[in-house]
Amino acid sequence: MMNVIRLSIMTIRLVMRTKVALFFTFLFPCIFLFVYGGIFGHGDPNAMAYMFGQVLTLNILGAGFFGLGLQAVMQRERGSLRRYRLAPVGSLTIVASNLLANYLIQIPVVGLLLVCAMGIFHMPFKLSFIPMIFVLLTIGIFAFAGYGLTIASVSNTMQEVQVYNNLAWFALVFLSGITIPLPALPHWIQTVATFLPATYLVTMFQAVMAQSEPVSAHLPELVTLVVSGFAGLFIAWKLFRWEKEERISTANKAWAFALLIPIFLMGLWMNVYANPSASWNKSYSRMIKQMSSVVSAANGTAGTTLEDFEGAAASQDISKTWQVPMEDVRPLAEITIIAPGANGSQHALRVSGRVPMPSQNQLPVQASDNFVIPTTVKTFSGIEFWIRSDDSREYRFTLLDENTKQGTAPEITLRPSSKWASIRIPAPTQAQGNASPPQPSHLKLFIAPLGQAGDFSVDIDEIKTY
Amino acid sequence: MVSAENLHKRYEDVLALRGISFEMKKGEVFGLLGPNGAGKTTTIEILVGLRQPDEGSVRVCGLDPARESNELKERIGAALQATVLPDKMTVEEALRLFASFYKHRVPTESLLETFGLMEKRHAHFDKLSGGQKQRLALALALVNDPELVLLDEPTVGLDAMLRRDIYALIERFKSEGRTVLLTTHYIEEAERLCDHVAIIDHGRVVAIGTPRELVDRSGRGTRLEVRLAKPVPAEKLKSLDAVIDSRESDGIYVLHAQPATQAIVGLIHFLEAENNALLDLHIAQPSLEDVFVEMTGRKLSE
Repeated sequence: MMNVIRLSIMTIRLVMRTKVALFFTFLFPCIFLFVYGGIFGHGDPNAMAYMFGQVLTLNILGAGFFGLGLQAVMQRERGSLRRYRLAPVGSLTIVASNLLANYLIQIPVVGLLLVCAMGIFHMPFKLSFIPMIFVLLTIGIFAFAGYGLTIASVSNTMQEVQVYNNLAWFALVFLSGITIPLPALPHWIQTVATFLPATYLVTMFQAVMAQSEPVSAHLPELVTLVVSGFAGLFIAWKLFRWEKEERISTANKAWAFALLIPIFLMGLWMNVYANPSASWNKSYSRMIKQMSSVVSAANGTAGTTLEDFEGAAASQDISKTWQVPMEDVRPLAEITIIAPGANGSQHALRVSGRVPMPSQNQLPVQASDNFVIPTTVKTFSGIEFWIRSDDSREYRFTLLDENTKQGTAPEITLRPSSKWASIRIPAPTQAQGNASPPQPSHLKLFIAPLGQAGDFSVDIDEIKTY
Repeated sequence: MVSAENLHKRYEDVLALRGISFEMKKGEVFGLLGPNGAGKTTTIEILVGLRQPDEGSVRVCGLDPARESNELKERIGAALQATVLPDKMTVEEALRLFASFYKHRVPTESLLETFGLMEKRHAHFDKLSGGQKQRLALALALVNDPELVLLDEPTVGLDAMLRRDIYALIERFKSEGRTVLLTTHYIEEAERLCDHVAIIDHGRVVAIGTPRELVDRSGRGTRLEVRLAKPVPAEKLKSLDAVIDSRESDGIYVLHAQPATQAIVGLIHFLEAENNALLDLHIAQPSLEDVFVEMTGRKLSE
């Protein structure tokens, strides 16, 4: 064990002295962080929380394939392993020390990324995340070290290992949700993703960072990665070669496929018994929703997307159909996302602003939102949602068909209380009671504060059809 | 100390060893002398446990290198051809790191001093000259104060001055009572350093003994190197009285003669008759090179 530690410390020292290694170890992940946070996430803190897992996974993959794996072949090709072979140092010591060094190097890298994400992008972060990130980081590095070392052990030359590494790298990076979030990919790719180990790591990071889920909720994925790590290290140890002249036989190369067994079984289980897409959508939608609130609050006007309200009934959930919500919010109104929402949901929509003059029927301030009734809705009478307000003001709600501009739209006027209560807004007469709603049915909800000039604020949540 | 018996080793189509056998005593410097590809490196790699013979048996320090590898590594030190370390590892770090792997260690300061590396102790491996790298390789072979030191071509690629430095270090090993096995294709090295030499060619031991014994056993007589005013066929010189062999290389005729005086008289008479002149004559005892030529029919450098 002492030999493992000594070799690891030496490896870390050598990395610290090599400019190229320093660049790829420390600076490169930061560049990715800025690309993800700054370009993909538009500098949004909540987007950064979601994408932080993608950056970490990308880094772990790079360390496993191009750090550890490539380094193993390079040492062999260069002949520097030979000197260790003359000493009482076994192949397991070499493999384990490389793994430990790789792990120890990643800890300050993750620390650096955290500092950048929190300091520059103001990423929300709880102390309770630390042990969970630590667990995911440890298991992730362990698993992908296994993959990287296995590829290295079945490759005879640098050229060969680079081909295999690039194949694995690109497949994982583009199909596992590391570059493009899985919910944004076609369903068949999502199915393929369930058979890729990086998918589990990136989605677990996202669940922890964006949804505050405990890692224990992902035990099967964790176990799969741990098993893959052990299998990979075992294969790497058994196929370890000290000399570049020692070539691996085709039969021994087949050992690499053994590494795919745990992930294949996990993929099958996921597709048959679990619903990974729903879980992936959850954290993705939350990120999008949270991003919207910030955009809206910053602008003080419209232009936000309100997707996936908490608790919306699955069969009648219309939240995903909202088009350009609150497009007509007047300059004196704004919308934000608040927490908690109704009935224990984590977030709700707050429409707030100022009524500039005594309002009778003129509706000087009015918020509205377009949405489409999904085809899954068989009958449609209107929409319902939960509402509350502290300002003792009356509000008028109207639902209009934006396609036809026809039909009588019942106006609902009410004074919400400070407690959450459910209300229903009937659809215009043509749409109401149809066996199937008009397709596409672009309806617009208007919310108008009534009464005296002054501030207003109303919270709504769990929007669905009835 | 070392016993190799009928070692055979094949690499795909190449038969590297075809029955190598030799014995080494404690405290001696033993040389494996032969041209490139003779099987020297394969033999030494089998002795240190890096390779296993296809056939034959080997004992080193009373241990089986294949089965008792770790115990053996504690007792031997080795410097194989072209020791490579990570570029950014310093000399001192290398010595300390490798020493830390062993139970018995030599102080790093002492090794730096002995091998003339004190000034380079903080230098990275990629900044060392060829000679410094070789000295470091030898120092690494001694970090565990080994009983037996195995050196594979320790002076290959070095200039004459650096070679002499290495010779001095190997002589120092010997004076410290260590047993040394070295492979070489330099005659000078074997003659100067080795107590016993095994001449290897095509994976076989063709002769074994002390350098003196080998030369005496060769029966090739005294070596005469002759330069003439006009060229003559080497065959004509071989036909002279007492001349055993004659070869011409770069205008110099190398004759082996027994007795030498008779051959010299015959040579002078021949040159007078041919109206030729003797420009230079060098008389020397036969070398291991001559022995090698006699045993294999070709020169070491061929």
